[in-house]
Amino acid sequence: MDSFTQRRRRDLILAAALAAIAACVPLFVKDVYVQNIMVLTLMYAALSQAWNILGGYCGQISLGHALYFGLGAYTTALLFTKFGVLPWFGMLGGGIISALIALALGYPTFRLRGHYFVIATIVIAEIGFLLFHNWDYAGAALGIDIPVRGDSWAKFQFTRSKLPFYYFALVFCCVAWFITWWLEDSKWGFWWRAVKDNPDAAESLGVVVFNSKMGAAAVSAFLTAIGGAFYAQFVSYIDPESVMTFQFSLLMALPAVLGGIGTLWGPVLGAVILIPMTELTRSFIGGSGRGVDLILYGAVIVVISLARPDGLIGLFSRRPASKGVPQ
Amino acid sequence: MTISRRNVLLGGAASAALLPLAKPARAQVKEVVIGVIYPLSGASAQIGVDAQKAFETAADIINKDYDFALPMAKGEGFTGLGGAKVRLVFADHQADPQKGRAEAERLITQEKVSAIVGTYQSAVAVTVSQICERYQIPFLSADNSSPSLHRRGLKYYFRAAPHDEMFSTAMFDFFDALKKKGQKIETLALFHEDTIFGTDSANAQLKLAADRGYKIVADIKYRANSPSLTAEVQQLKAANADVLMPSSYTTDGILLIKTMGELGYKAKNIVAQDAGFSEKALYDAVGDKIPGVISRGSFSLDLAAKRPMVGKINDMFKEKSGKDFNDYSSRQFMGLIVMADAINRAKSTDGEKIREALVATDMPGESTIMPWAKVKFDELGQNNNADPVLLQYNGGKFVTIFPPQAAVADAIWPMP
Repeated sequence: MDSFTQRRRRDLILAAALAAIAACVPLFVKDVYVQNIMVLTLMYAALSQAWNILGGYCGQISLGHALYFGLGAYTTALLFTKFGVLPWFGMLGGGIISALIALALGYPTFRLRGHYFVIATIVIAEIGFLLFHNWDYAGAALGIDIPVRGDSWAKFQFTRSKLPFYYFALVFCCVAWFITWWLEDSKWGFWWRAVKDNPDAAESLGVVVFNSKMGAAAVSAFLTAIGGAFYAQFVSYIDPESVMTFQFSLLMALPAVLGGIGTLWGPVLGAVILIPMTELTRSFIGGSGRGVDLILYGAVIVVISLARPDGLIGLFSRRPASKGVPQ
Repeated sequence: MTISRRNVLLGGAASAALLPLAKPARAQVKEVVIGVIYPLSGASAQIGVDAQKAFETAADIINKDYDFALPMAKGEGFTGLGGAKVRLVFADHQADPQKGRAEAERLITQEKVSAIVGTYQSAVAVTVSQICERYQIPFLSADNSSPSLHRRGLKYYFRAAPHDEMFSTAMFDFFDALKKKGQKIETLALFHEDTIFGTDSANAQLKLAADRGYKIVADIKYRANSPSLTAEVQQLKAANADVLMPSSYTTDGILLIKTMGELGYKAKNIVAQDAGFSEKALYDAVGDKIPGVISRGSFSLDLAAKRPMVGKINDMFKEKSGKDFNDYSSRQFMGLIVMADAINRAKSTDGEKIREALVATDMPGESTIMPWAKVKFDELGQNNNADPVLLQYNGGKFVTIFPPQAAVADAIWPMP
């Protein structure tokens, strides 16, 4: 057994252990506010994992993932409020729509290189935002208020309990992690890393660069849209400002970048540190109105990126993170 | 006395009758905690910081003894709750509906607030009021003006201040009154930004114009915080309506007036939907270009002449914030007073009892600092007696010109 296979087995055992621990946490943590933070942490870990597939493994930095997130949220909310379609179908539908749109957008944009691709993602997401902002049927600027009429798994809405959302987010996070784990050792995983390191060299070795980018984009968009659908049910209100802005695209990329871009554990680690920090600092020192919470938040990001340019994951590996992916 | 069955029954009945009297003494309330959710960081942080001062002024009046004809002013604290004091817990929602929701939940479950007041942004009020509904905690919209908020039929939602349709109705009432006096007002041009505020405002104005026979010659929607409004202003210039009706926040408002100057368009009249047009920053920047501009508002310092307490309370606020009450801070102040008054009458910090007291609210306008007829909520929790005012900017200050019962001067029409 080579070291790569060994490492992958260790990762899987560790992930199973962490998931089991996470599943037990609500037995001890009853406070809804803390549960809320845990839900958000898991959600961002999963979203960032989804972003990482395209941005990290395949090296196609996207700052427009809010588009897929918003599509997932809007598909679910619109189907439910206008046609009474249960959110589970909306979630799946949103995922498929997002994946198709990612493919349609990838067709022209994946021919762009480097910074031009990043700019294209920002611009396209902004167009999506403006369309929803002016689309009267989808509530335009007013957004969509999802009526909550009691607890129901079928409608995936719960008045006070956070536990169903917690367990869904946990499963979502595990699935996103597992897909990444599985892809890492597949043909796709190796293609993506080759494309990331040097597209020309990869092409010369028989990697179909364009197709591998398209595949990464579709998987990434699908998972991101599931997150969006979850968010719509969790908050039970969406408007373009809160689900489709540029800021949201950054929030999805940030945990992966901070934790370790293109690594299996980076997004999880980044989310576990970033999300509780933003929430707690806002709640407990944000009430002063002096912005101390944001100064602290910014300072931590600056310190981490200076001390660990490879991401926090570098703290845990014996070898330098840049050599983390073996042959 | 023999222990007969009748005596035992009588004794039981007597103690049962006494029980309710004994209860308040046991459940003695030391303080009433009220949650206040505002944007305290981010783009609208200044609004939140000013709001804090307005709420602190109101808390000061509640907790200390003042001789104002304002509910809660006389006596210290909540007289209905044995003099319990109010304590405010501020939370920051950063203009994000999700964060507003999380903060509302934290205030309710951890801080044990009895009521929540907020939120400036209407989108955040949607989620905060939803959470309040789920926990059966009353929520009072102090300064949200989107009419869709109260139409959701929530039981624990209340708004003492006017909403956008009421504001726009006041403008059209004003036009009708001018027409009766022989002024020519036939065509209107709408100019509005594309967030909830501008959208709602324009929808209301379109409907009112159709109902009352005014012709809309331009209806221009623009992207908020736009870097340039040249194309939009050219359309306005071409339409040259009798009245230009902007619904814009501060930076867009300043850009509009500047661009109009550059393109040589002088509007015949401007009647603005508050927001940017009640902000000092706009008048500091371009006030000299628009003498005679009219804006709707829900507050006017002119009231101080008729009600001296308005001036005194304004001085208290000014000492804390360095500013006069404006449209927002006055509504925020009054929001907390209305909520505290209900808690005081409920004689309880229980959500359902406070809700019942809010439903029963009937506060005469003279005992508020607002130009309202009274505070009385309809079945949807909206106060329909909150009359807005129209203010005209003249000689560096605002003068109330409409409605007649609040006016201190006649409107200068057309604009000089």
